[in-house]
Amino acid sequence: MHLELSMKQAVIRRTVRKFAEERLSPAAGEMDATARFPLEIAGEMADLHYFGLEIPAEYGGAGLDTVSYAVVIEEISRASGAMGLCVCVHNSVSAYPIYEFGNEDQRRGFLVPMAKGQKIGTFCLTEPNAGSDASALETIATRDGDGYVLNGNKIFVTNGAVSGTNLIFALTNPAPERREFTVFIVESDRDGLEKGPIEDLMGMRGNPVCPIMLSDCRVPEKNRLGGEGEGMKIALSTLNGGRIGIASQALGIAQASLDVSIKYARERRQFGQSLSDFDAVKGVLADMATKIDAARLLIYRASYLRAKGLDHGKESATAKLYAAGVGVEVSRAGLQMHGGYGYTKAYPIERYYRDAKVCEIYEGTSEVQRIVIARHLTKK
Amino acid sequence: MKKMQTDRNYEGIWIFGDYRNYFQNRVTLQLISKGKELAQALKTEVTVLVLGNRIHQYAMEYVAHGADVVMVVDHPRLKDYHVETYTLLVAKMVESFRPEIFLAGATAFGREFFPRLAKRLRTGLSADCVSLEIDSESGLLVQTTPAFGGDLLAEIVTPDHRPQMATVHPGVFEERVHDPLAVGRIVYPELEIEADERVQLMRTRPEQVRKVNLEDAPVVFAGGRGLGSMERFQVLFDLAELLGGEVGATRPAILSGWVEDTRLLGQTGKSVKPRLLVTAGTSGALQYTSGIQGAEAIVAINRDPHAPIFKIADLGLVGDAHAILGLLLEKLRKRL
Amino acid sequence: MNIAVCIKQVPDIPTIRMDRERMTVIREGVESVINPLDGVALEAALGLRDTWGGNVTVLSMGPPQSEEALREALARGADQAVLLTSPAFAGADTLSTSHVLATAIARLNPCPDLVLCGRQTIDSDTGHVGPQIAEELDFPQVCGVHEIHVETDALVVKQVSDGFLNTLRVSMPALLTVSQGLSVPRHIPLGDLERAFSDRKVIRWGLEDLGLQAEEVGLMGSATRVWRLYTPPPRRRGEILSGPPHRLVEHLITMLEAMGILDEEDANG
Repeated sequence: MHLELSMKQAVIRRTVRKFAEERLSPAAGEMDATARFPLEIAGEMADLHYFGLEIPAEYGGAGLDTVSYAVVIEEISRASGAMGLCVCVHNSVSAYPIYEFGNEDQRRGFLVPMAKGQKIGTFCLTEPNAGSDASALETIATRDGDGYVLNGNKIFVTNGAVSGTNLIFALTNPAPERREFTVFIVESDRDGLEKGPIEDLMGMRGNPVCPIMLSDCRVPEKNRLGGEGEGMKIALSTLNGGRIGIASQALGIAQASLDVSIKYARERRQFGQSLSDFDAVKGVLADMATKIDAARLLIYRASYLRAKGLDHGKESATAKLYAAGVGVEVSRAGLQMHGGYGYTKAYPIERYYRDAKVCEIYEGTSEVQRIVIARHLTKK
Repeated sequence: MKKMQTDRNYEGIWIFGDYRNYFQNRVTLQLISKGKELAQALKTEVTVLVLGNRIHQYAMEYVAHGADVVMVVDHPRLKDYHVETYTLLVAKMVESFRPEIFLAGATAFGREFFPRLAKRLRTGLSADCVSLEIDSESGLLVQTTPAFGGDLLAEIVTPDHRPQMATVHPGVFEERVHDPLAVGRIVYPELEIEADERVQLMRTRPEQVRKVNLEDAPVVFAGGRGLGSMERFQVLFDLAELLGGEVGATRPAILSGWVEDTRLLGQTGKSVKPRLLVTAGTSGALQYTSGIQGAEAIVAINRDPHAPIFKIADLGLVGDAHAILGLLLEKLRKRL
Repeated sequence: MNIAVCIKQVPDIPTIRMDRERMTVIREGVESVINPLDGVALEAALGLRDTWGGNVTVLSMGPPQSEEALREALARGADQAVLLTSPAFAGADTLSTSHVLATAIARLNPCPDLVLCGRQTIDSDTGHVGPQIAEELDFPQVCGVHEIHVETDALVVKQVSDGFLNTLRVSMPALLTVSQGLSVPRHIPLGDLERAFSDRKVIRWGLEDLGLQAEEVGLMGSATRVWRLYTPPPRRRGEILSGPPHRLVEHLITMLEAMGILDEEDANG
């Protein structure tokens, strides 16, 4: 058993951190304040392979292993939650499923531009009436000649406003006793696909989340990912891997919170001493660090299993459940430590606090993760 | 004092005469002074070696500052400093005259030339020393150099190879006062001048139009990353102007583009020994403090009471540098 | 143009802290990085190769862990990486280190036209290794170069030395040590890093591969010895005050008065 990052993974961490500190950290505050997605920085990141992290080199990606992928997401998120979210969702639940379930034409046609960052991807599952209950979705795909016509509304689409390639989950068989879902790759410039205004969110501002509406959007059969009826299978498999990314985002935000809290505790003086001289504060910092350590190890374990091709459904759910909680708890403790200053926008801690919350919600709420874990515990 | 077997053939303290920028660059004079001390312990003489064209006046200066002997190699082909040619000539002289110790100032040229020479002579060389002593037991030259940015010191010796060579940080030793009545021998050894043509100096000119003179400033105000912005450096310039001083900075502040890099203080920049040094928004990283430790009095201002800079400060002020310096400027302006 | 670049893996000095009781450097949590000026040298070498063609070989003498730095160099674009490693190389001073590096460079095929190194390292900071390699290879040298132009048969370079801006013509083969201004290391694409670790080879040479004897290298091949490492006694530690700015400033002004710094200014008006 080997608990340390390999030489390669350590170098990757260092390399990404350097980029994140030089290019992302200075821009993160403004991204949040203006809710503007920085296309220029995204362009630089595309050239550095951030949009094809786990995709093999033959399709234009970096070909990283899962642990390295987790490290990259953590380090990006540490600098900017909104950009970490963009890179994570694009990679794990938009590009990767095309790699895993697509045919060669789809890989060449859709995956390569995504891996190179020429097209940013989305994963469109959620609808106004279908959140945790994904199977309640109503978007319908009707056979029409040698293609399909799609009608429906998708909401809360991460990367939506800047995306070029969208994975749309739709009903291909609405009959109640045989509800079947199918995934379609739909280009943003296709007739019948429209994007709504960017959501005004509590956190992760700067990620262009928006609704996507389909009205009589015609897609050819070659855009169907996998077979008819395979949509749920693809969704579940994809979300399995996606959990590791979300967990890493939360971890990055927690780490950033700890880093600024240590600095603040050393500098701030009250009652004649530094905050860090008080036992109570020492206790808080220790708890923050311990939780972060535990979250990191859970993430690495899930990544390791996935990299080896082993079952990791329970472990990835565990990692996401725990790490998302850590993100919220640690950022909250950090904000409290900053006192009044933490409540102002002059310090980044309030942004971390706002960014962290959604990790407990998207790609399977913490409640859903608990159910997933419990199912593994109680199954025969 | 016991002398080693190999030492029998090697005797004398040599100093490389780095005469360029004579009036600002005092390191050769400083080394002559230290050399005299070492020579006394070893019962020997100090010889300064100068190569160049029309350099007799420097030889006279060196005698006046304490050299017992000055060896002059004067030739038109040596008009400009040249690493390969000097290595060739000086190596021959060392092989003929066998000095026991050979010192040079750690100027840019010294740090380029001396390692090549040491390699040709297959002997040891320490860099940028801050202290030199003769060990009473072994008779060896103990060379103290900073390591890891200056907070750690290493004592280095060259036990079995000769000469024992070192470059010395400018400003460490004090030069002797110019004595027009000092006595010394100026000799012109016979030497065939072969110049190495592989490197040719095409053009040379002084570097900066405006000179930032940190080394001579009696008061230095230094700023670091903690100041926060280029605008906040202005108060340092105002204070420096008021008190007839100069402004320095740490590497992070320079890399942020807040001040020009000629103001860099520290290991890869300048070392200063002003009467007063006020350092603000600097945490006290090792490679910075080595450049300011020589100041008579250090005042440090930082928001973090645990910042390492306070360990080397005579007076530490915990607080916001911007507020403190702004207030200081206001009060001093009223007074002066 | 075939170029050899010498790099060293060093501790990331800004993050280093001292254990003042045990007089040692605290190594946990300290990252190892490519010495910054060596990174600049590598970037310059890659630029020259991209313009003029040829081969860039990166060499490093160090413990097996230095392979990390060499792989990073491969990811940046070096064509070949050589790790010079052996227990016998330990404890080397610059005389001994330059001997190993020069021997290795002389064994490269094709022989390099140009050797580039960073001017100095952030840990030992002597700046000796470059000139000493040049001496052993009998190459002309220029140190602290911030500009390189290629002409037929020669390089025209610029350096700042002791306040002088010098333009020099250097015939090849030559060795140059570089200063900060020469080039800015680019960010590394992640796929190139991955491939540097999975697909590329790092050549390892030890004592035998270089045809050297143990007496010529490492501690035995060194002329200098470290007698003692120590932290000097804390130079000073005066009062540390906190409080409202006006109190602090009052105190400071009192100190300046006591030193006589304000008197002179009063006199000068």
